[in-house]
Amino acid sequence: MTHPEDTATIERDLRAVNAALSGGAPTHDDPTARELQELALALQADSPVPDRTFAHELGARVEAGFAAEPGARSSRFRLPRLNLLPVAGVAAPLLLIVAVVFALGGPPSGGGGNDEETSSGDSGGGGGAEVLDGGGVAAAPEAPAGRSSSSAEGALAAPPADAPGFAPAQRQRRIERSIAMTLTAPDEEIPALADGVNRVAARNGGFVLSSELDTGDGGSTGSYELRIPSGRLQAALRGLAGLGTVSSQSQNGQDVTRDFVTAADRLEAARAERRSLLRRLEEADTDEASEALRVRLDLVAGEINGLRSQLRELRLRTDYAIVSVDLIGEEGDSGSGGAGGAFDDAVGDAKNLLVGFAGVLIRVLAVAIPLSLIAGLGWLVTGATRRRRRESALA
Amino acid sequence: MPVVSATETETFAALYERTFPRVYAYVASLVRDRSAAEDVTAQAFERAYRKRSSYRPRRGSMEAWLFGIARNAALDELRRRKRRATLESDPEDTSAPSLEDHADLALRRELVRAAMATLEGNERDLIALKFSGGLSNAEIARVLGMSETNAGTRLHRALTKLRKACDDAS
Repeated sequence: MTHPEDTATIERDLRAVNAALSGGAPTHDDPTARELQELALALQADSPVPDRTFAHELGARVEAGFAAEPGARSSRFRLPRLNLLPVAGVAAPLLLIVAVVFALGGPPSGGGGNDEETSSGDSGGGGGAEVLDGGGVAAAPEAPAGRSSSSAEGALAAPPADAPGFAPAQRQRRIERSIAMTLTAPDEEIPALADGVNRVAARNGGFVLSSELDTGDGGSTGSYELRIPSGRLQAALRGLAGLGTVSSQSQNGQDVTRDFVTAADRLEAARAERRSLLRRLEEADTDEASEALRVRLDLVAGEINGLRSQLRELRLRTDYAIVSVDLIGEEGDSGSGGAGGAFDDAVGDAKNLLVGFAGVLIRVLAVAIPLSLIAGLGWLVTGATRRRRRESALA
Repeated sequence: MPVVSATETETFAALYERTFPRVYAYVASLVRDRSAAEDVTAQAFERAYRKRSSYRPRRGSMEAWLFGIARNAALDELRRRKRRATLESDPEDTSAPSLEDHADLALRRELVRAAMATLEGNERDLIALKFSGGLSNAEIARVLGMSETNAGTRLHRALTKLRKACDDAS
């Protein structure tokens, strides 16, 4: 910190120096200040003087506006000179951020698994059992083309490796699927919508397990439980979504491959035991031995029947997806009920549009703000580094 | 390529007329080589001419801006040619004394030059900006990116050190 007296001295000396430089002679009474004045004049007088030829040449170039010299490459076609240090300083953190964003976000994959909410999808495993190849992660299937967005769209895929029911050696996966969908339509259209649900189920080889339709004064509602062949699930969902407005949709997938394999193995073992028992029964030479073998055969037969039934049930559950469809009637028009409804729709659309835009804006800002901060920091750091490197020439 | 109006060229020509000897003197004081000083001075003026649209009056006078460019060019030249040894050596006699010069004047000049060699590089830079470049303390502060008070204090410190070196040498 500078002492106040020092400050006064400094100001006096600097004023004296400036006065000497302006006047061309030392004038101050104080000996120290006068000495500084003399020194300043000596330094000024000792300043290098430019060569006249050089001054003349440079003056001519200035007057010509620094036009390109003959033979020199025109500056018009000169590539911009890149200073790699600041470029690298800004690019490096940007690349880092992009890499981190990609690493955290990751490519979309067919996650999901047991009892995990997923969205609609279908592996298209033919008309039979629902199978996915290899127990790996399945690619995200195409989402149904609904008239509006569903609540949980995405992919239904094989479960993760550590999920219960996982049988690593099995290439053929058995996935039990259930889909819940809510369709909304104007009240008066609910009966037609119900018919449409029936038609979609029949058209895709499925059937209606249960249905309920209420068209009372309090509003129309309906509830359907369908069984759709897994191989036709995607087409069926598309058809259902085309009937009305999909206000929500969720899917659930559970891998039952291990249960299936276990039951099949046990059935095979029980059959082998039965064959063995039959052979032994043929060879039995006492009544007691024959009776004991018959008792054992009855037990094994019961076990075989149970396992067959279990396998049948598993096949049914995986060959057919459970599709629950709720129909909800809405009061008001069906799109042609008057100006008020149209206005409400327009307001609703505008609101949705604004919400969507705000969402996009927030996402963009969430990326852009940190990127800008890091780029700015990089710019400052590279600027300071360049300045320090320049100044090092004076050190 | 920017379109240059006749008025702009005249303005720049006026700036050149006003500052050329001082810019050269400052650059020569830094690089200590007549040929390099000419190259750097020409480069600085050309750079300033090409970038004149980037000058903002609120960020200081045009002279301070020009000297900033000249300083950067000189420092780049020093770095490029690794002139540190030259900077620390005795300055070249760029204005050789004529026969009419007094012996006292020549002696004093030698004394000051020897004393200059004892200063740090940034102190010599300050001295050169002030006495060769003829800049005010405010302009020096702008060129060096510091406050005017700080520039004045540093300048006073460098002058005092130089005076003491002269006293010690005499």
